[in-house]
Amino acid sequence: MTAAARARMRVRLPLLAVGAAAWLALAVRLGEGMHGAVHPGGWSPTSLVAEAALMFAAMMVPLMGAPVRHVRDRSFAARRGRAVALFAAGYALPWIGAAVVLLAAAAWIVAVHSPVVLALAFAAVAVFQSSPQKQHCLNRCHAHPALAAFGARADLDALRFGVSHARWCIGSCFALMLLPMLFTRGHLVVMAGVTLWLAGERFERPVPPRWRWRGPARVVRIALGQARAWLRPPGKEVLVPRAPTP
Amino acid sequence: MKYVRTNVYAKGGDFSDPTILWYARGVGVLKARQITDPTSWRFYAAIHGIDTPLWEQYGYLSPSDPLPPQADIDLYWNQCQHGSWYFLPWHRGYLLAFEAAVRAAVVSLGGPEDWALPYWNYFAPDENALPPAFGMPDLPDGEGPNPLYVAQRWGPTNSGKVYVPLSQVNLRALTDPDFTGVASGGSPGFGGVDTGFSHGGRPHGRLEHQPHDAVHVLVGGSDPADPNLPGLMSDPDTAGLDPIFWLHHANIDRLWESWLQGPVSLGNPTDPKWVNGPASVGQRPFVMPWPPTGTQWTYTPGDMANLADLDYVYDNLAPAGVSPTPAVALEAPPAPVKKRAAAMAPTRHNVEMVGASEQPVRITGRDEARTSVRLDAPMRRKMTARLDSVAAEAGAAALMSPGERVFLNLENVRGTSDGTVLEVYLNVPAGTNPAHRQDRRVGSVGLFGLRKASAPDGEHGGEGLTFVLEITEAIHALHLESALAANELEVRIVPFNQVPEESPVSIGRVSVFRHGR
Repeated sequence: MTAAARARMRVRLPLLAVGAAAWLALAVRLGEGMHGAVHPGGWSPTSLVAEAALMFAAMMVPLMGAPVRHVRDRSFAARRGRAVALFAAGYALPWIGAAVVLLAAAAWIVAVHSPVVLALAFAAVAVFQSSPQKQHCLNRCHAHPALAAFGARADLDALRFGVSHARWCIGSCFALMLLPMLFTRGHLVVMAGVTLWLAGERFERPVPPRWRWRGPARVVRIALGQARAWLRPPGKEVLVPRAPTP
Repeated sequence: MKYVRTNVYAKGGDFSDPTILWYARGVGVLKARQITDPTSWRFYAAIHGIDTPLWEQYGYLSPSDPLPPQADIDLYWNQCQHGSWYFLPWHRGYLLAFEAAVRAAVVSLGGPEDWALPYWNYFAPDENALPPAFGMPDLPDGEGPNPLYVAQRWGPTNSGKVYVPLSQVNLRALTDPDFTGVASGGSPGFGGVDTGFSHGGRPHGRLEHQPHDAVHVLVGGSDPADPNLPGLMSDPDTAGLDPIFWLHHANIDRLWESWLQGPVSLGNPTDPKWVNGPASVGQRPFVMPWPPTGTQWTYTPGDMANLADLDYVYDNLAPAGVSPTPAVALEAPPAPVKKRAAAMAPTRHNVEMVGASEQPVRITGRDEARTSVRLDAPMRRKMTARLDSVAAEAGAAALMSPGERVFLNLENVRGTSDGTVLEVYLNVPAGTNPAHRQDRRVGSVGLFGLRKASAPDGEHGGEGLTFVLEITEAIHALHLESALAANELEVRIVPFNQVPEESPVSIGRVSVFRHGR
């Protein structure tokens, strides 16, 4: 494993652990009668925020690796923990707010019990998923700004980066995040699928925005490739050079 | 059949050399093909990168031109690997496919079956000027226009005089034992940083940074009438349109082989992710059209790892050709490479920031920009103590060993003037012209890929490029002079060529990192 891969792993593992804990909590809540945007006891402001925070932790925290590495790498060793915490706060708060809005919207759509409204919601998700705006937001998720290194400006920059990253992340993910909330059966399965879909999109490099369908097939291929790479036994590969002929 | 790549200057660099004449004729055949033909000149150039408005502006594309099917565009175009450990193997495969297409054209015209690309070794004595054949508008003996000539090649002073100023390039990358580096502020390695498919990552590996990037922008320059227009070589989206591009990359490929066979190299990566390439983890494959019909040829970095297995050799692997010129010697490390090799061990990858500037830097015209890097006192003491310790253990020569190294980072460099080279100096005394203190110059940076990296929808979300320069020796010298005690490091950045007033270059932060135990 290369040094860069080890550095990625050092950041990724705690984030995956947080995500796994959130998934566990979601599974427990499934047993308590939570199904997507349907709350067995009706939504209260507290339960909405708690559910939004859980969704954020399950789906978004595992995707924070690259920006967290940027903050960590570009801070003094003594300030790394503080800088990452400020980035995480700046990233989490807008996201949880957005998730509350999404949950409330999904709860309304489900409560209306109208196939037309449901179909319109799915169509809107598909249209946004295909739009240049979606690609623009995805592209901007790769932006890693210069960060001040000293004093209050360093704190402010870490926080500001968290907020700006959340902005583009919400822009690229909100439509797909709505999908699992509309499913009152198989909610968690759809949510897991969407999480992988979103993770796969993050592995893609930026491309010029244009109208095109961004389906999960590509991300499934990437996920399988990543899994193959993880499962491949360690050790030196045998080089089998091929002549440069087709 | 064994193919031998030879020095373009072997017979003077003009059309008296059959290798060059046949190259021109072969390029002429490829240029005559439509862009819809995968073995055409423009198709191969677009594999490296294409910017439609620029191509149209320069007359290489017309809105009425039919384009290849979208599936072919998605498969082949905009594929070049930069800022990545795939930079060298991807470009080797790119050269092989292009060279095979030219060879097929050469053979179809009655030329030699063993024709191979020449390389341009700008480090060799008196060979840093553009080979004469590339600057002639016409072929000899009334054969017609010279396919190797392009108008958009303006050189380091944007005057049309094309050469590589040896003060702006160096071979320091070849002293780095590790192929793979880190993106966290320390050494990016000889060959680059472990990435996925990377059409423009950051930072660039050391060979990619120097001499690759610098030569690109020094040769391409900018249009003197409109400095916002880059020369073809200055921009990754037009570089493949200039016939000299392929000779430059043949030389970079030669330097890879030279490093591999040299005394300090720890070899190519053996990590499966490098060997098997990005396609092995579900990303885009490395794929080229292979002549004569443009058959799809897919390859991996592992396939490119051994030049001999590909039936290729270079006529000379000495990095600077014969012996270093005085200008190159100025930049070359004084440490004996054999001593390094004897004490060779993989670099330890503990990378920590030592200091950073507090304000962004703006560069326009020919004016130097200054910034002060504030050093964190405990980190500065740790760094200097480690440098002292390494020097005490094995003498000053050991400073070039992987034990403790120091790097200057120019972070988030943004702008649109790709054809720019910046010279970087440390702690030049006040009132002194940096040009008179070459001992304080720590390197030059060619802003190849700047425009793309600064575009909001580009690879870096618009946050620009990051350049990494090794300053181990300079920092140790300043430490010995007690010049670091003030916890401030003054950095001067001097444009080697004109930066347009209307499109300045900005640097988000200048920082110093230690890389060692």
